Amino acid sequence: MNIYQSIANLAKSTKYQNLFLAAKEINGVNLFNNNLDFSKIQELFLCYLYNFDIINKDIITDKISKHVLDDEIYWESYMLWRKDFKYKKGKQQDSKSNLHLVTSKKINFPKKV
Amino acid sequence: MENNRKAEAEKIVKEMNEDKDLLFAENLIRDNKIEFEYEDKKYRIRLLTIAEKNELERLRTKKFGQLIQDKDILFEKDLIKVLKERGIDVDAINDEIKKLDAEEISLQVKLGESISKNEGEIILKSYKEQIEELRKRKAMLNTQKTLLLRFSFENQLLNYVSMVITYLSLDELKDGTWQRMFSTLEDFENYDNGNLINKAAIYSMTLQYI
Repeated sequence: MNIYQSIANLAKSTKYQNLFLAAKEINGVNLFNNNLDFSKIQELFLCYLYNFDIINKDIITDKISKHVLDDEIYWESYMLWRKDFKYKKGKQQDSKSNLHLVTSKKINFPKKV
Repeated sequence: MENNRKAEAEKIVKEMNEDKDLLFAENLIRDNKIEFEYEDKKYRIRLLTIAEKNELERLRTKKFGQLIQDKDILFEKDLIKVLKERGIDVDAINDEIKKLDAEEISLQVKLGESISKNEGEIILKSYKEQIEELRKRKAMLNTQKTLLLRFSFENQLLNYVSMVITYLSLDELKDGTWQRMFSTLEDFENYDNGNLINKAAIYSMTLQYI
């Protein structure tokens, strides 16, 4: 049995997606029995929960088809593209918003009247 | 009619397997311990305590000292040189793996973009098949590399560390209380039930290293 696949399937299940949302909103709702000292597999599970939460939001807002969840290669690729797209978009916005910082060698000071 | 019954039965078996799979995964993440049964006895793997981490560090340092004095054990880079002299190019395997990695990421980004544009199933499937093919080739090369370098200094130390982690983190249920299964490393090394140790080793890596 592939442990990664099992953990991913659990993270995208309705039960754990609801629990993840509830844990974010309601104080006292916990995902695990322990609140400290997470194991590596728990850290990985949290990462999957977060990713499937993003994918579900994109499905609800009709950005993508729900079939993206059917295959590991599909949802992995979509998340990779999403991060890459956001990164490039962020870089473009940064360069636009930094335009006013670009200095020219020739500065035309207003003449004294 | 008969076909319908068969299809229905297959569907039920599939659902049962999925439920079993989820239950198995739930057991792995419920807390920072993993309980399991082996030959009607209960065992568990847990995270190491600070004292056990110190013990691990002590044993690792001791092993490092032993391995470094053994001139027959080569560092990975030296083993790669020896292998190259014998016509086996590990660096070339590494380069090929890196190339396949880059190709896979590039295909994944293209597939992700196609998904975002809701392009047809034929396009998505074509990307998926290409990625699967790359993964198969990469897995073969990785296995080849692992087998070639398994006797290197680095790998021997790594294997030793995972063995010690299993030794330190394996508990058994005795009279209703959890107790360390082995009190000395020697007891662990002389234990004859390899299947139980292998199962425990997989779980201990799942908790601490995955």
